[in-house]
Amino acid sequence: MPRNLALLLAFLSLGLLLMAAVVAPERRTVEAEAAAFASPLDLPPLGADERGRPLTDYAMQGAHIVAVPALVAGLLVTLLGTAGGLVRCMGSERVESLVSGFREVVGALPRMVVLLVVAMLLPLEWRSLLALAVVWALLAAPGAMDEAAAVAGRLGGARFVEALRAHGFSRLRIYLYHVVALNLRPVVVRQGAETLMQVVFLEVALSYLALAAGEPSFTHNEAVTKSWADLLYQGYQAIAMDVPSMHVLVLGLALVAVTALAAVSISSAARAR
Amino acid sequence: MKRWWAQPLVRAVVALALPFAVPAIITLLIWALPGSPADNICRGATGCDALAARWNLDQGMVHFYLAWMGDALRGDLGRSWSAVQGVGIRELLAPAVPVTVMLISLSVLPLFLGAALAGLGWIPRRFDPIFQAVGLVPAMVPALVVYAVITLAMGAVAADGSESLLLKLFAGALILGTTDGALSGAITGTRSVFDNERKQQYVLVAQLRGEGVLSNTLPNVAGALAGQLRARILHLLSGAVIVEAVLRIDGLGDFLWRATLHQDFGLLLAAATGFALVSGVILLLQASLEVLVAWHQRRAPQVPVAVGA
Repeated sequence: MPRNLALLLAFLSLGLLLMAAVVAPERRTVEAEAAAFASPLDLPPLGADERGRPLTDYAMQGAHIVAVPALVAGLLVTLLGTAGGLVRCMGSERVESLVSGFREVVGALPRMVVLLVVAMLLPLEWRSLLALAVVWALLAAPGAMDEAAAVAGRLGGARFVEALRAHGFSRLRIYLYHVVALNLRPVVVRQGAETLMQVVFLEVALSYLALAAGEPSFTHNEAVTKSWADLLYQGYQAIAMDVPSMHVLVLGLALVAVTALAAVSISSAARAR
Repeated sequence: MKRWWAQPLVRAVVALALPFAVPAIITLLIWALPGSPADNICRGATGCDALAARWNLDQGMVHFYLAWMGDALRGDLGRSWSAVQGVGIRELLAPAVPVTVMLISLSVLPLFLGAALAGLGWIPRRFDPIFQAVGLVPAMVPALVVYAVITLAMGAVAADGSESLLLKLFAGALILGTTDGALSGAITGTRSVFDNERKQQYVLVAQLRGEGVLSNTLPNVAGALAGQLRARILHLLSGAVIVEAVLRIDGLGDFLWRATLHQDFGLLLAAATGFALVSGVILLLQASLEVLVAWHQRRAPQVPVAVGA
């Protein structure tokens, strides 16, 4: 994908997600039974659910649930990955050993197991996707740190910094521009984008499974707001029970695809020239 | 780390500590939450004091952990608190562990195949976008489709029964092994490791001497490949929770999900420890491989370095 196109797609998809999150209605539109399962042609732009409520509510409220936690998780992984790369460039064996120990221990924990433990132990009033997204990001960080450290290692680590110092560059410029912006950027941005996507998919998966079991969601108050998982849940009935909700499924899958597109385009836009 | 044994040793220590550390962390979390652990777990149920005494929640964190760990080491994992109330957790998890191990083992096959073919250079780079596009699909979506197809083909009762288990295991393994970036990561990761190694001077020298590239590079990249594989298997373990829950496969992941959903601390502790045990075994295997590679490398004849070189 050309970088300019990737940049445009990244802006569009992320902009769409954020805009939908900002303008999302706090409560769902009142039911209109007559419009049940209305297609996008009958009730533009996206059609209606089983109770005649517009699907735009679902799309926007779902975006509202995932936007901030996914961005925070992505940024956290990017920052920690960058720190992992910088530590390798600092050439301090003691700090590197400590970071390596952290990576070893945290990297050995299966993410979903830790996440479910945290999800269950959090008191009801603390339950939110943000808390789970931060945990997920912390568990994803060792991989990003590992990869960034490998990039910095291939660059020459501390010797690279010393060589540039000999050319008269300041440490700040070397670390921020030569190391981070020019060399670590493709890796840490890709890792961050992947985490952003994973958090969105995680929300959908957790909410869907809770919905299927008839239990409260770990990520949001389902009495007030609806997640994208609700679209997949209603849409799934089109396959399994012959309910006329195929347009709901298509919308759910389209939102999943937009999320994937956002991650891919962000990674492509940040890749090395 | 300069000494060859340091990294495998750290891995071995972490692997042995994991099954003890995970329940300790969970216990710590239970006591770190506001309110008493018994109240948090009972959530207003009658007879909370009696239940707290029965679950060892009434005498502090250390007592709870030591009592649970002591029982677990004797093979007694207690009884399910709410998910399958009253049923022995050992009876629940004993058949679940082989199911999850089989699911993960099967799902590793596409990864092995993809990595081997990529390492040998038999997968052209032009196919990478296809694998990457498949890798973007979240495991839950194909799992839902597969479950719907199985339900339609076999009926709802058979779809949840044991007669469809093998079919669900194979389908689940294929989903786990190909989606969520698993296969594309294995292919591109392995290829990139080999590409970097092939640029080394010793490989060119070996080629000039008429030796094979793979036989020279493999021992040197085995450690990195093992690290990648471990990370991917851990990723599969996470995905297995979702796939088992969607396909209703009675594995360790499904029990972990049910425990979370029903606030079953007993089952959660046991299932999470089971996952930690599996993770520890994988870590030990990686450490063993690293030792073997180091041993193989140290057996190689030492080339004398010329003075001044």
